[in-house]
Amino acid sequence: MSAPVLTEQTVPPVAPAPVKRSWHGYLRQPSAALSVLVLLVMVVMAVFAPLIADEPVGAGSDVLHSPSGAHWFGTDDLGQDIFAQVVWGTRTSLVIGLAASVIAIVLGTAIGLASAYFRPIDAVATVVTDVMLALPTLPLMIMLAAVVSPSVWTLTMIIGFFAWPEVARLIRSQGLVVSAMPYIDGARVLGATGWRIVTREILPAVVSLVIVSVLLTASRAVISEAGLSFLGLGDPDAWSWGRILLNAQRSGVIAIAWWQTLFPSLAILLLVLSATVAGMRFNDTRDPRRNGG
Amino acid sequence: MKSTVKGRWRLAVALGVVATLGVSGCGLNEDNASSSSSSGDSVLRIGTTTDVSNFNPLQSLSKTDSWILNAMYPHLLRIDENAKKAPELAKEYRYEDDGKTAVFVLRDDFKWTDGKPVVADDVKFSAEMTMKYKLGNVAAKLTWVESIEAPDATTVKFKLSQPYAPFAEGVGFWMSIVPKHVFEPAGDLSKFPNDSNWVGAGPFVLDSMTKGQRYVMKRNENYPLAPGGKAAVSQVEYRVYPDVNTMMLALRNGDIDLMGTPVPVSAAKTFEGDSKIKMEKVGALGFAHLTYNMKNKFLADQEVRQALSMSVDTKSIISAVLQGDAQEMAGPISPTFSEYDNSEVKPYAFDPAGAKAKLTAAGYKDANNDGFFDELAFGVACDQSNANMTRVVQLFRESAAKAGIKLKNECVERNTFLSRTKSGEYDIDASQWGVFDNPMDQLRSTYLSSNPGGINYNLLESAEIDKLINDAAGTTDPEAFKAKIKNLDKVVHDQAYLTPLYVENFRFAYNASKFTGFSPSPSDLLGMVTAYSLAQVTPVK
Repeated sequence: MSAPVLTEQTVPPVAPAPVKRSWHGYLRQPSAALSVLVLLVMVVMAVFAPLIADEPVGAGSDVLHSPSGAHWFGTDDLGQDIFAQVVWGTRTSLVIGLAASVIAIVLGTAIGLASAYFRPIDAVATVVTDVMLALPTLPLMIMLAAVVSPSVWTLTMIIGFFAWPEVARLIRSQGLVVSAMPYIDGARVLGATGWRIVTREILPAVVSLVIVSVLLTASRAVISEAGLSFLGLGDPDAWSWGRILLNAQRSGVIAIAWWQTLFPSLAILLLVLSATVAGMRFNDTRDPRRNGG
Repeated sequence: MKSTVKGRWRLAVALGVVATLGVSGCGLNEDNASSSSSSGDSVLRIGTTTDVSNFNPLQSLSKTDSWILNAMYPHLLRIDENAKKAPELAKEYRYEDDGKTAVFVLRDDFKWTDGKPVVADDVKFSAEMTMKYKLGNVAAKLTWVESIEAPDATTVKFKLSQPYAPFAEGVGFWMSIVPKHVFEPAGDLSKFPNDSNWVGAGPFVLDSMTKGQRYVMKRNENYPLAPGGKAAVSQVEYRVYPDVNTMMLALRNGDIDLMGTPVPVSAAKTFEGDSKIKMEKVGALGFAHLTYNMKNKFLADQEVRQALSMSVDTKSIISAVLQGDAQEMAGPISPTFSEYDNSEVKPYAFDPAGAKAKLTAAGYKDANNDGFFDELAFGVACDQSNANMTRVVQLFRESAAKAGIKLKNECVERNTFLSRTKSGEYDIDASQWGVFDNPMDQLRSTYLSSNPGGINYNLLESAEIDKLINDAAGTTDPEAFKAKIKNLDKVVHDQAYLTPLYVENFRFAYNASKFTGFSPSPSDLLGMVTAYSLAQVTPVK
């Protein structure tokens, strides 16, 4: 009864106290707490990268050294520190991950809600969403990224643009449930406009789903970014995890410098895993079937 | 033994991790149902990174194309291990008529695989078709030809409109000789695919292929340049490995016997401690360079180009990117051509502060005080699949920033890069010349405003340079000719149309426990896989 839930029994207006309690409950789950911690560490690493490690520049004399006290993650074929590259890569990966997911969320939520409430829009939007979902995204992203000149900004746009349909479909299905509820009819009888109903009545009811989507979409965006950078379509001036992998592959050192592929891959794995787990646990806490709401 | 196992585990882990990314860029192709056991060790298996895209030897060729086609179609001359022209199909050549007639005398013992002899008419036909359809880069080298005569089966005479000293060397080395009786019925040779029923006169001729996997070449039973009258190896098989890491592993595992592609300098350690694998080192016939687009308003300013040249730290590029295994150079003429290289020309010394002072003196300003001159921002284009060039651009961008010049790294996917290069959409082009066989042809194709070779990447249109080049091209006296080339070397250096970066060495790895006797030529285009070299290879008993 307490938590705002998303099934037929939902009473959408959200009271502050239960929110606090559910956050607390959420963080009491070890897996959720751990994932949030990992995400926080990543964010700290991205924000304070210049304090943690010098930006990898120039060429050093320690070429292809394995991990040691001086170089925690070893060095690459130019003698640059892999640890510094991974730390600086966190910036690009997080920025692209978050920014792309914001684009996807804004587009996806708008389209999802619009099609949930306005029937004429639904017909068109559903078809567009299905078409977008059916497109082979990776090849298309590769094509686009090859045509435009690669930069953090263009990558973000491309990845964000291809990630919205899944959000839209999720939000629409939840929006359909909510818009069929009696209180929506009530609002309409009281003379509320469509805009007001969508933004004030339906949106708050799906907002927790939006939060979950942000996390999941961001983690997918991080993978896409790493993939595109690995294929050489990333921003050549910005460090990214995919670019470290590309450097290893291109200079033919995969066989002799395992550290150059292992650590950035671990970073990707950690970020994606913790974002996914954090999102799923968050979804669980909000799910009435789990907390007996 | 122990260390190899450990090495393999590391590799397996590394590859696994990369694979988990779910990126499908590099195909780890190759069915490992190895065919090596069937016909013993006389099959030489060579790794290459790309497929053959064109089987017509008269047209422009990519690297794999030319490796395979050069083993099938003879050339008049070849480049030997000392970077000098050596006889191949032609026994000798001479000039007559004050340099206005070039005469090639052919060997009489070359035979096409269908039994017909290779005769002067084949040479005449190849050259005439190249001129008629303007095929490949050879067409530009035949510019002065007025007529071709084949008075007997072993003599070919090229009548030229004017004397051109490197004519015979250029045409002799670059032009493939094709069988007239096979190519003539095909009609328009610019459209002839030549992708089946091959007839060749080289040591090996293509027999079958599976695109994306392998190209099988059978021995020509009559190849006079091989020690025993035919190659000792009965079959050559090119296998495609798009990723160099996989190719190196295949060599270590014994799936291939030779890497056609050079081993990246950073990866040379891979074969350390492997007693079977040997590395052969050769020099280059080209060089890496930064070339400035003269159509850019600011790059058209000599001061800016010189300042850029002063902000490239070639010494540290050579020591870091190439691990010291390369030579510095100045001016457009590589030290490979020692007779023509102007030794008075010295590289611009690395001096970002000096470059900054020079630009300030030339009137460039940093009004917004961001450390960069307001107008000087350029993109540096390169092919992102070239490991060395991407590193160079990365370092160049950092060092140019110290001189107050803002550079943007525009290393892009290969095909995008090539199309931008073709259409002149770049400010600075960072790339590598593959093979220049003589300095005169090089200067003509890189600096003439008529752009005969299509590689005037400066998009330079200078009447003065045109005059100097044309004047040198018509000079027959060898000493005067050398002096004119040296002068051009200096003029181009002073103008800083380009900043030469390095002349690198290439390393080729092969399985020395199975094959021996390679006769490598310089450059990564020729390397270990020239027709002559493949004909000399013998299996180790």
